[in-house]
Amino acid sequence: MSEPLPLPDTASEPARAASSRWANRARYAVFWGAPPALWQAAFFLVPLCFLIAMTFWSVRNFRLAPDSTLANWTFILTAGFFRNAYVYTFWLSALTALIASLAAFPAAYTLAYKVSPATRRLMIFMLVVPFFTSYPVRIYSTQIFFSPQGIINTVLVPLGLGPLQVLNTPTGTVVGYLVLTLPLVVLLQTFALSNVPRILIEAAHNLGCGRFRTIWQVIIPSARIGLIVAGTFAFVLAFGDYVAPTYLGGSKPPTLSILIADQVKSGNNWPRASVVAATMILTLMMVMLVMIALAYGRRKGRG
Amino acid sequence: MAIPMIELDRVAKHYGDQAAVADVSFDIEKGEFIALMGPSGCGKTTTLRMIAGLDQPTSGEIRLWGRRLNEDAPWERDAPLVWQSYALFPFLSVRKNVEFGLKQRGLPAAERRRKADEWMERLGIAGFAERGVDQLSGGQRQRVALARALALEPEMLLLDEPLSALDPHLRVRMQSELVRLHRELGITFICVTHSHSEAFAMADRVVIMNEGRVQQVGAPRDIYRRAANRFVAEFVGGNNLFAGTASSAGTRLRVDGPFGTALAPRPAEFTFQDGDAVTLVVAADRIELAPAPMGADNEVEGRVVTLDFVGSSVTVFLETAGGAELRIQQSLSQIENTPLSPGQTITARWSQDVGFFLSS
Repeated sequence: MSEPLPLPDTASEPARAASSRWANRARYAVFWGAPPALWQAAFFLVPLCFLIAMTFWSVRNFRLAPDSTLANWTFILTAGFFRNAYVYTFWLSALTALIASLAAFPAAYTLAYKVSPATRRLMIFMLVVPFFTSYPVRIYSTQIFFSPQGIINTVLVPLGLGPLQVLNTPTGTVVGYLVLTLPLVVLLQTFALSNVPRILIEAAHNLGCGRFRTIWQVIIPSARIGLIVAGTFAFVLAFGDYVAPTYLGGSKPPTLSILIADQVKSGNNWPRASVVAATMILTLMMVMLVMIALAYGRRKGRG
Repeated sequence: MAIPMIELDRVAKHYGDQAAVADVSFDIEKGEFIALMGPSGCGKTTTLRMIAGLDQPTSGEIRLWGRRLNEDAPWERDAPLVWQSYALFPFLSVRKNVEFGLKQRGLPAAERRRKADEWMERLGIAGFAERGVDQLSGGQRQRVALARALALEPEMLLLDEPLSALDPHLRVRMQSELVRLHRELGITFICVTHSHSEAFAMADRVVIMNEGRVQQVGAPRDIYRRAANRFVAEFVGGNNLFAGTASSAGTRLRVDGPFGTALAPRPAEFTFQDGDAVTLVVAADRIELAPAPMGADNEVEGRVVTLDFVGSSVTVFLETAGGAELRIQQSLSQIENTPLSPGQTITARWSQDVGFFLSS
């Protein structure tokens, strides 16, 4: 028994196997994760950094010049027109998220609970159809619908109910936002409601909870994450949209996206446009964080 | 005659051309512990769900105290159910789960709280009142589900496989606890189970179902001692079914088959001609073992195939020369003086009075 025991070797064997397993998994993750990561880096992160950098540049004689000035930030953040546009855009987007969420719910409820699986599949397909046509085309057709000689006014005016003035009003903008977001919100809500365990609804009924109260007390709390995600999507899409406020809202008052376009068009002021864009990105990040906290937050009160 | 509490009158439930429940009729008296038992797919859960109003009968009538119940919405009924998977609300605390039904009845918050406390205390979950249900073990969740249902102080409690998700030692404890609760509360318990040991241990009466039909309704003892048909005799277990040919033997009927020859009382309800094929049922625990035949009737010699020990009872499997298999159930103390080992030949013997015939 004078020879050394081969113990250290056998002991390190599992450790080595574990580390090589880990290395394998890391290689696997890098291989499959790299393409989207590279894509995001090239077309999102780098432009974003460039955008942030540009907020500190200056414009001389309609020419961009790299700089490190805070002038753009002070100008935009103190400008009345920016503050008005910011509040206006935030308000209309929030309103859109609310209207879309409320309007979508009965449809999503019906699709999730009241129709056969075959009908549900068909309707879900129909909800995807709007995305086949490009969004500006859909906005143009909405414009035609609401124009003074459009279908809606042709029907309403003889009934003494018109003319309906929707174009070039905030209502027009919201209608456009809804054209963009409503099908998506219905889809997301349908998926959220479909995932509510049927047995919880039955348990509620069994304990004396009628149909409408069950919606409030069981279905909405159970589908909370999905419903909040759907509303947040509507807000995010509306907040950055340029088409609806331009063609249905008539650009007046301007939203933040219109402001960006204005800064670029009049005076080639890319740095100021970048400041507006940066505040929008920041706002969306904050909104997302708040919504995620709302959706996933440990519910302290528990109903 | 007084009106029974619950009547199921030719109730059927069809899904398309599939009958989940084909034709079910039975009554339940107030304060009974009823077990609905049968193999999976026999329609027992659907029957329970129809009593709760979660499924509508396709035909037939369910009555509560003589009043038709079919059209009542589930939330208008007083029949809380304890689900196999508990169906607790994961977004509510234990307390809020227990209070849920009381809230629907519009009880003021203080009253709700008092009742919830009382029931959580009674079921031993008061310590978890503020926890989320996802932080509880299976046994604790079951208690929350029971508290949630019983807090409504209903006149009946429905239980869907209440013990099958629990581990074995917890199952035995919960079983006796359910029996105790039933005795203390004096309300009607209707319990669905596929396990005859559960059903027979807990219930006053057992409804045995198969393929959407009631096979037999009766007290556990009666079902064990007098199975109504072949399905019941086989499903409840512990029975020997001897197939043979009948012949007259005075006041008794004689059966000859692969197991040998046996005598049994002539059935009162139906008649057999000599030479008819019949099935004689003899309960396994009514057969005795002896080292050698004594020349009496109803004696069968056989070779011991296996011995199956469960707790303090042993089931002996014998094979006769004719190829029939017998099962004999004895308590360990009964066979202590009879040395038994596989391969050995032994005599099985039973009284002429304990056998009975199946109708078909």
